[in-house]
Amino acid sequence: MAVGSEALAPSWREGRVTGWLTTVDHKRIGILYIVTAFFFFFAAGVMALLMRLQLAQAGNDIVTENDYNQLFTIHGTAMIFLFVVPILAGFGNYVVPLMIGARDMAFPRLNALSYWLFLLGGIVILGSFLADGGAASSGWTAYTPLSTEEFSPGTGQDLWILGLHLTSLSSLAGAINFIVTIHNMRTPGMTWMRIPLFVWAIEAFAVLLLLVLPTISAAVTLLLLDRQAGTSFFTGENGALLWQHMFWFFGHPEVYIMVLPAMGILSEVIPVFSRKPIFGYKAIAFSTIGIAFASMLVWAHHMFTVGMPDALQAWFMVTSFSVAVPTAIKIFNWLATLWRGHLWFRAPLLFCLGFIGLFTMGGLSGVMLAVFPVDYQTHDTYYVVAHFHYVLFGGSVFGIFAGIYYWFPKMTGRMYDERLGVAHFWLMFLGFNAAFLPQHMLGLMGMQRRIYTYDREGLFEWYNLVSSLGSFLMGIAILVFFWNMTKSWRSGPRVGNDPWSADTLEWYATSPPAAHNFDRVPYVSSSRPLRDLRERLRERGA
Amino acid sequence: MGRTIVAIVATGTALVLAALPIVLALVSPGGLGGLAPPDPATPSGEAINQLYWFVFGICAVVFIGVETALVLFILRFRRRSTTPVDAEGPQIHGNTRLEIIWTAIPAVILAVIAIVVLVRTPAVQATGGDRSDELVVRVEGHQFYWRYVYPDGQISLDTLVLPVDRPVKLELVSYDVNHSWWVRELTGKQDAIRGQVNELLLRPTAEGTFDGVCAEFCGVLHAVMPTTVEVVSQEEYASRIEQLSGQDQAGEAQLALGRQTWERTCAKCHGPEGQGDLGPPIAQNGTLVDEEALRDLLNDGLDTPGVEGYMPPVGRGWPAFQVQALIEYIRSNEDLAPPEQDGGGSG
Repeated sequence: MAVGSEALAPSWREGRVTGWLTTVDHKRIGILYIVTAFFFFFAAGVMALLMRLQLAQAGNDIVTENDYNQLFTIHGTAMIFLFVVPILAGFGNYVVPLMIGARDMAFPRLNALSYWLFLLGGIVILGSFLADGGAASSGWTAYTPLSTEEFSPGTGQDLWILGLHLTSLSSLAGAINFIVTIHNMRTPGMTWMRIPLFVWAIEAFAVLLLLVLPTISAAVTLLLLDRQAGTSFFTGENGALLWQHMFWFFGHPEVYIMVLPAMGILSEVIPVFSRKPIFGYKAIAFSTIGIAFASMLVWAHHMFTVGMPDALQAWFMVTSFSVAVPTAIKIFNWLATLWRGHLWFRAPLLFCLGFIGLFTMGGLSGVMLAVFPVDYQTHDTYYVVAHFHYVLFGGSVFGIFAGIYYWFPKMTGRMYDERLGVAHFWLMFLGFNAAFLPQHMLGLMGMQRRIYTYDREGLFEWYNLVSSLGSFLMGIAILVFFWNMTKSWRSGPRVGNDPWSADTLEWYATSPPAAHNFDRVPYVSSSRPLRDLRERLRERGA
Repeated sequence: MGRTIVAIVATGTALVLAALPIVLALVSPGGLGGLAPPDPATPSGEAINQLYWFVFGICAVVFIGVETALVLFILRFRRRSTTPVDAEGPQIHGNTRLEIIWTAIPAVILAVIAIVVLVRTPAVQATGGDRSDELVVRVEGHQFYWRYVYPDGQISLDTLVLPVDRPVKLELVSYDVNHSWWVRELTGKQDAIRGQVNELLLRPTAEGTFDGVCAEFCGVLHAVMPTTVEVVSQEEYASRIEQLSGQDQAGEAQLALGRQTWERTCAKCHGPEGQGDLGPPIAQNGTLVDEEALRDLLNDGLDTPGVEGYMPPVGRGWPAFQVQALIEYIRSNEDLAPPEQDGGGSG
């Protein structure tokens, strides 16, 4: 479809720039998603560095209290809605049709709409700094009544709502597109138990988005009505808790929306760089479904201190524990895949190993937070900040970098610079731990979240300084990464179809693939069609 | 070979860096420097700490197990220079028995944790001992201060005085946004939310001064909304409460409440002399002594178009005598009081 319409497109649509602006090709849209998301990542990262600069010492005066509150609000919002979710959608766009042997996504024009809505939403959210009174400053969670008109006058909060609406629409359209594509466009022979595990992850990602995004869309709509039309959904009695329930019913699955596709990337990369099949394909596929399901039952573990009955707290503790089991299955299966492999330490594998090491930490601190009496001491402190950065940065973002290095040769037809990739990994790994490990201690020492200043010295201040230094090390790592990408995209050495001797169909296409992806697709008789092909060739040769 | 050395050196550095905060924590004076919540001064805090160490211990064992396996596999199964590039590892697709075992083990561990937590839950909330002489204190979270109301209507701001060895029930409420009362050396935190009353039970077992904060983000000055709890002997508690002003008091006690109100609420934004800081200057503004206008302002807040920021409804829920005390204090302070002849003025 897409191919046909592009072939017949007027010539102005094939220009260097107009070609990209008018594209409905899933690969180009995927790259647009990824590049745009990295732009927002950079912006949100600069906000993080400003915050760490402010917190490096007690009583610092680098940003004002108002500015600080806007910074952490937009940092969180942008990292989640403008970086992690859309970049994973970008990978899904680029890779899923290739992996299942399809020519494009099911609805190419809808796909383009998804991207442009995302870009628009991002511009609205970042642009809200220019609004009267500045950007939203009630946190990415926008708890009511703080985010209502009475306590947050000014258009920043309204623009935040608009931005969330736009990105939610983008994600909803994308989710429908992924589901229809995966269900209907698999090449002959590719049964559900043969689709790559990344495709399983994108399926779960899309289904979760479809199930929980309407809740946040409804919640922010009601908030907008409260602010602009004088309704009182969140301003009356119990309004505060209504928001928290609606927000976290979306917000907790959102965590798995951000983690599952990254886990999917690991399940692709680890076998290829261990030279082994994935250990326990079915267990990983089913644990993906299990995590997605359980993630919708745990939301109120974010609310242990709001005054819930003990029985409810116990229930949400147990459901939260239940997420840990399928997560542990994945970790053990990856370790078993490494076992007796021939580990090829290229950048994609390094980032996967970093993921396993760091995500384990985040998972275990998650178990500790789920124990509600312990949560009374750790909730809303830097312990939580450390926990979710281990999950979302040590987990998701390390997985994203594994994916970038892994698929860079496919997307550009060129190889990235390995030495810069390895340097990026080590700087990031060191910087990350220096930045976030001490934050566990800070939380237990009494540092609450979302504070622009503190007046304690000694060890408390030292931990903060180490954390700030670590964050700047991460900043350097990101610059190395950007330099590597820019340089290698222009002048990296050319690669063939399959530089990694990988297992899945995207490596059967040329690098970069033609607009129509494949001239023909080999019949799929296992979950590793490309290895099957190599084996057949070897047998024929022998 | 060179790459291997680099990797080993880098891993070593990473481990040293990761261990550094833990070493710092262990050698630091005054407790464990963030390895656990501080030593508690209540039985409920003690119960939380015991649970913390129990779960921490289990998680530490799992953590060390997984990370050790990871590091061992990295060292043991790296591709040797002698291995052909296209050599494959053994084509093992899984092992059902093994996978059932490592599904069951975490499930059993988590079940054990859950049972222990549920058995210990009553201890976390219990104040211990006889609760017939329970002291009930109302805790109001406001932007950006804490207002404590004792049983006979006495008021203190930001500082809470409690008697030692007596069960206490804190009733947490809010008149504006969500707050969270957290004095970590006493016990865990609990939110103060508009429209509901949350209870926090505790029984301080040691005298001392304990610092606390607002843990739930509540707006622009959230970071500087501290509180202090002074746990004193029962006799001293009685005399301290005596000194606090309640209704129907005049003179020194009234002025003291007025000064406290000025310092803990108005001055945080408008500066100690009302000279303006985050908020505009208000010294000598007529509204300060106009009881009706001041009440409306304190109750409704102020959002002036074109002026950045807004004034929260800081005085919502105040009884009339607290507003009067504030006015009396302002009248008594010549830097703050407006010139005599002017009766009106606007905020």
